[in-house]
Amino acid sequence: MLETVAQAVINGLLIGGIYALVSIGVTLIFGVVKIVNFAQGEFVMIGMYLSFYLSTQFGIDPIASLVITMPVLFVAGVLIQHFLIRRVLGPNDMPQIFLTFALSLLLLNLALMLFTANYRTVHTSYSDEAFHLGGLYIPVAKLIAFVVAMFLSGALWVFLHTTDLGKAMRAASQNRDVATLMGINPNRVFCVALGIALALAGAAGSLLMPFYSAYPFVGQVFVLMAFVAVVLGTLGNVMGALIASLMMGIAESLGIQYVGADSGLLVVFAMLLLTLAFKPNGLGGGRAR
Amino acid sequence: MTRDRRQSVFSNPSVFSNPNGTGQILSKRQSRRKFLIKAGSAVAAGAFGAVPLRGWAADPVNIGALYPTTGGMAQIGVGCVAAAKLAVEMVNEAGGIKSLGGARLNLILSDVQSDTTVTRTETDRLITENKLSAIHGCFASALTLIASEVCERAKVPIITGSSSDQLNKGRNYTFTPFARASQFAKAQLQMAKLVGDKPKVAVIFENTAFGTSTSNGLKELAPAEGVEIVMFEPYSAGFTDASPLINKVKASGANALFSVSYLNDLILIVRTVKQVGLNVAINGGSGGFVIPDFYKNVGKLAEGLQGVAHWNHDMSDDAQKVNAEYKKRTGDFLFEYAGGLVAQTFMIADALERAGSADPQKVRAALSTLDVSSGYAAMAPGGKVKFGPDGKNIFGHPVGVQWQNGDLASVFPDEDKRAPLLKT
Repeated sequence: MLETVAQAVINGLLIGGIYALVSIGVTLIFGVVKIVNFAQGEFVMIGMYLSFYLSTQFGIDPIASLVITMPVLFVAGVLIQHFLIRRVLGPNDMPQIFLTFALSLLLLNLALMLFTANYRTVHTSYSDEAFHLGGLYIPVAKLIAFVVAMFLSGALWVFLHTTDLGKAMRAASQNRDVATLMGINPNRVFCVALGIALALAGAAGSLLMPFYSAYPFVGQVFVLMAFVAVVLGTLGNVMGALIASLMMGIAESLGIQYVGADSGLLVVFAMLLLTLAFKPNGLGGGRAR
Repeated sequence: MTRDRRQSVFSNPSVFSNPNGTGQILSKRQSRRKFLIKAGSAVAAGAFGAVPLRGWAADPVNIGALYPTTGGMAQIGVGCVAAAKLAVEMVNEAGGIKSLGGARLNLILSDVQSDTTVTRTETDRLITENKLSAIHGCFASALTLIASEVCERAKVPIITGSSSDQLNKGRNYTFTPFARASQFAKAQLQMAKLVGDKPKVAVIFENTAFGTSTSNGLKELAPAEGVEIVMFEPYSAGFTDASPLINKVKASGANALFSVSYLNDLILIVRTVKQVGLNVAINGGSGGFVIPDFYKNVGKLAEGLQGVAHWNHDMSDDAQKVNAEYKKRTGDFLFEYAGGLVAQTFMIADALERAGSADPQKVRAALSTLDVSSGYAAMAPGGKVKFGPDGKNIFGHPVGVQWQNGDLASVFPDEDKRAPLLKT
């Protein structure tokens, strides 16, 4: 009994790490640039395909390939901010929503055209291995993914709190006008924010590849969880998104174990509604960090 | 405008009587005439081409093939077309239809685009534009049901490997030589008994129409087969993580796992079972589980996994011969649907031979009295084909298969078995 619960919690935590990478990207973009990026899941998908081809064509381990996928998506993020998003930033939200939604549809259908709807899987030596501790087991690939995800989240937190650029980003997210008055170049800050967010999505793609299949719609699976985590952890709050993602992973896993295998999401959304009923701004309260 | 035309046609006799008359109108007239002559001869040629003048006997016999070669089911459809071409070549190389003076089979392909609406229009078009003796298709039951309706109305026989039981209800021109959907569940349960004396089965299925109907079939038949179902659980298709589900299977104490899932979920499930170190015999059913692509995606983990199919390439010497040729052409083994349609082509050839006519009604009559137990037409599990009044092969049953060394081996029932069932 206790073993089953412990195993469910472990499973939830491990997948929660992946949710965290996606949701931190969404919340970072929202916090700093004040737009909702509906295409975030598609960048996870692009990260997965990049990893897949780097692995099958050049023999690069999918997890190691994040040293390539992250910079590539960082540059993509900077370009998207500079050439697309910058032009629709203004008092009206609608163009921004349409822009990122259109981007999502475009990338999804491009992927369908280029890669077809087939599933692509990578085999690594550790894909099917697991550590066994007593009656519990921890899959190697997921453990690596979790550790790297936590490391990247920690690094982002340190970056936001100790470097000038990071502080500038937090300043811009708290009050864009005052930050501009203090000599911060908002477009530069936004470019970096988009770059980091997409790099995290790319990292999530690479980390997923050893144990999950790539296909054009794969981003949709993860982005739904990411949006819930972002709301649950208070919009724009990086630490909140991280904690909410891990909680959701655990809630989903326990839900499948004790409510029903098709009720994982039910438990997650019940948790979201309950939280919003008592804390309308999410777990992080009103603060945006 | 009207006046102009009247003038040019009726009140200007110079156009006809005087070839050297007013320049512009005349040249226009001439080119129009030339066009009419050209078009007329083209239409005439087309008409004579389409309606054979020399009678049926000496002409090739048209066989329609409806498969999705674009869209979501394209991958399977393309394999089906390769097999359909191979089958027709085999019939023709063996001398064609002898009772029709050695008439050759002429395969007319049509892409039904994985779409029900297109299937309806394409089947209709194929029948109205060509004099067809019979049709085979369409792989997916949803498409075949529609093609079958059109064929019934047009009175052209259709022979199909699709497993939907609905194809055997109130139809006269539809023939199904292979196992029906209702038979698959029974075979799966019987296979579970081969793995252990007291099978405790966990059934997990995606919460869709496909998952629910298949798993309910398993649940209904289990008591009669003496199989205990210890877990019966729907899950959300397209999940991110199979671990909680497998955690639950582990807690149920099952020694066999039936997974009614599509490819991606199944890969996650198989991997997780391996990681947990759970010792259960996994049966993945049919469909996407018994095609070459499954092994390509899952790799070594697929070893030992069981499934059910309506056809397998190692069942008989004939099947192995066809498989070798298909493999030479495409690089992959002949998968169930493609293999089945090779046999179907030979069933049509057998019917044509006995009917001595390419008339679709006579071919239907000959198909309904088909009774073969040797040759390529008998390439079905059990090796016998004879249609009952509902168009069902009375000997039809599925074959239990297992992935062994990257190949799909027939392991059940005994009469079709070509390799022992590995109990790992």
